[in-house]
Amino acid sequence: MQDLVICRCEEVSLKELEETAEKFNCSARELKLRTRAGMGFCGGRTCRPAVDKVVHDITGEAPSNDLPLKVQPPVRPISLHDLGGSES
Amino acid sequence: MTERRIIDHPVLGKLDEQKKVSFQFDGRTYEGYEGDTIASALLAHGIRTLRKHEETGRPRGIYCNIGHCFECRVTVDDISNIRACLTPIHNGMVVETGQQLDTPLSPDQTEPIPRTYEEYEEWKEKKEQSK
Repeated sequence: MQDLVICRCEEVSLKELEETAEKFNCSARELKLRTRAGMGFCGGRTCRPAVDKVVHDITGEAPSNDLPLKVQPPVRPISLHDLGGSES
Repeated sequence: MTERRIIDHPVLGKLDEQKKVSFQFDGRTYEGYEGDTIASALLAHGIRTLRKHEETGRPRGIYCNIGHCFECRVTVDDISNIRACLTPIHNGMVVETGQQLDTPLSPDQTEPIPRTYEEYEEWKEKKEQSK
């Protein structure tokens, strides 16, 4: 269970997240910056609820949309080519 | 190729009436059916590893299968980061997997950190030799 990979893009395990959150009493944003969970290719869209839950369980910080792990455009990772760049 | 497929489906029809499509995956040629995604065609061949994690090299494959998680991204016809779970196969398609990348800046490696591309080439050579 502890070896469970939470963030697959950056390969961060549940154990790593819990240990870091406990050691530093992290906010969600701080946990993200310390472990890189949610900073990978998918933009944190896959593991965000799980990271929020870990933080909530350990520090009691309620998930919010203000700053910590907010969702912002572009909602999906897209290539510059898709945005209208020159031929790839 | 057919042992992992539904051969008679009430909506999709009979398998032997489908059109075959051949494509390349990491240099080998595979056959799938029209309408297959890259991921489903490979799954029918028993291939579940679509790429390696860039840093750790651990295998990655289908995870969400709806285009959300980008775990199955592959290089298709020289365009990188294409989702295998959403992209239909076509004849002559060339699919390549992502491999583990070098980590010359990792604090765990013992060699001096390369500062230029030339030093990086040397670093790579040394690493090859020590294998």
